[in-house]
Amino acid sequence: MDDNQIVNEGAYPDDEYIYNETFIGEDGEEYYYEEPLISLFNVVKEYDKGMVKALNGINLDIFEGEFVSIIGPSGSGKSTLLNMLGALDKPTRGKIFIGGIDLVKEKDLSEFRQEKIGFVFQLHNLIPNLSVFDNVQIPLLPTGMSNKEMKERISEIIRAVGLEDKRNQRPNKLSGGQRQRVAIARALVNNPSIILADEPTGSLDSKTGELILNLLMEMHERYNVTLIIVTHDNGVAALAERTIKIKEGQIIEDKYNY
Amino acid sequence: MSIIGIAIGITTIVALGLITTGMEDLVSSSLNDVGAEITVSNSSSVGTNAGLIDSSIVEEMKNRTGVIDAAGSLTVTEMNMDRLKSRDSDSSGFATTVVGLASEKLYMMGIDNVDGKIYENGSRDAIIGAEYAEVNNVSIGDDLSVQGKEFNVTGIFETGSPFVDSGIYVPLDTLQDVTDNDKVSCILVKTGEDVNDSAISDKIEDDYENFTTLTSEEISSIADNVLGILDTATLAVSALAIIVGGIGIINAMVMAVYERTKEIGVLKSVGWKSRKILTMILGETLVLTMLSGIVGSIFGILIPEVGLRLFNVTDFALGYSPKTFILAFGITIIVGGIYPAYKASRFAPTEALRYE
Repeated sequence: MDDNQIVNEGAYPDDEYIYNETFIGEDGEEYYYEEPLISLFNVVKEYDKGMVKALNGINLDIFEGEFVSIIGPSGSGKSTLLNMLGALDKPTRGKIFIGGIDLVKEKDLSEFRQEKIGFVFQLHNLIPNLSVFDNVQIPLLPTGMSNKEMKERISEIIRAVGLEDKRNQRPNKLSGGQRQRVAIARALVNNPSIILADEPTGSLDSKTGELILNLLMEMHERYNVTLIIVTHDNGVAALAERTIKIKEGQIIEDKYNY
Repeated sequence: MSIIGIAIGITTIVALGLITTGMEDLVSSSLNDVGAEITVSNSSSVGTNAGLIDSSIVEEMKNRTGVIDAAGSLTVTEMNMDRLKSRDSDSSGFATTVVGLASEKLYMMGIDNVDGKIYENGSRDAIIGAEYAEVNNVSIGDDLSVQGKEFNVTGIFETGSPFVDSGIYVPLDTLQDVTDNDKVSCILVKTGEDVNDSAISDKIEDDYENFTTLTSEEISSIADNVLGILDTATLAVSALAIIVGGIGIINAMVMAVYERTKEIGVLKSVGWKSRKILTMILGETLVLTMLSGIVGSIFGILIPEVGLRLFNVTDFALGYSPKTFILAFGITIIVGGIYPAYKASRFAPTEALRYE
């Protein structure tokens, strides 16, 4: 028996815990356990042969369509957690289920990322020698979508982020806010169920940052996408329906804001 | 920058490849054996006849068992002479070998195809090797001076052996006459088929004191040794070129790929498979390699060619072989293309996205 099994013993959903089936509560009302879109069970992430624990036993459920902010000081493990949720990295121990897929067991996560996840990075990470249109197209290229369908989808999403007139521009001709809009369009173009944004306003002035947050929230509502934002800004975190506070790799607070 | 880096690597491989192949060609053609199977010379170094052989011995050689023909040849060296009377020559300082050989025996030096006409014995005519003609700009009808006497060029020949092709051939009796000498420097001996050349040559050495012989088998054995040494040397130079060029190419390609680490991280984060990234980078590498390969090959040819002309090297030509170019392109694609592309496709996405 290895460490993995010991740590996770009893932590997974068992047979009694049946999602989405109704039951009658003590008050006579009908209830059901909603199956979370994302479930983390005792997730541990270690570096340097266990010398550094970036995540130290995270248990977390996030439901479809939620807007969640993850807040914490630098080095608290929030970006590591975001990488786990985006299937960019695997935990040292523990389990992660997203949309019923076991991310720890799954060998090739690229298809999962392509179908389910949209990333928005702090520094937008656009490809400098490609136009706005081409940057937004990148996630669709491996999908086998027809050219016509691809063009329509990209045009729609570029229109949605308000960059119709910039579609042929290169990123170096755009302002910081416009670049982040392109990054949001790229994150949404493949119709993901989850948008993961790592400090999306970190490199922007407060006014542009606000516009970008509004756009993210608008997209979250329009496309009913689950939005998870990592930030160290309390103001930004407070905009979310739910805020999860992390410190030293552990969740120290998980609350609904309204 | 990548193109320049890779092109420098390819230039190194191509230039050194051309030079080493040229060296191999030169040496192997220099060591081509001539018509005679045995060359007899006098190894005595004392007395007035040091190194020379009496003409009468030529007949003796011809009458030996297993020998079908023998010819005496007299060799003199013309140093720093004003060879051309008709025009101004800049070839002073050269040592040219002048060989006296009866016209009917020229075949024993491998001379059997002469442009123009072969001299008649006793005449003041000469035939010259193609290389001599080219270097000294001499053509048929020109006059040249041997031992202070004028000879008229009646023909030009080419045997493929630079030693023979850079010489002047004149009738033996005329050369003996102008040098006031009735002896020969060596005797060329042609043996019959199915005869053991070594046995005949050993017998000659036994019968004549001070005579040394060299058989064509010994010449080819020497040639094999020299070519063997040269092969090792060229292999070492090629290996050096590959290491130097290959490191340059890998460095340029790795830098080009590493500059795009973040981009590769983004592609991975949006769901591109490692295989698709590998294919993309390989495709780009191929284009880069082809461009660099063309630029590198042009410089790889130009630099040594210009160098040879600049230093007026005329007796050496670069050896153009497809092997050199295939090697240069192959190394570039394999070590410079596949390795960095494979590395790039294996980047962990989180590491790649953090890369600055």
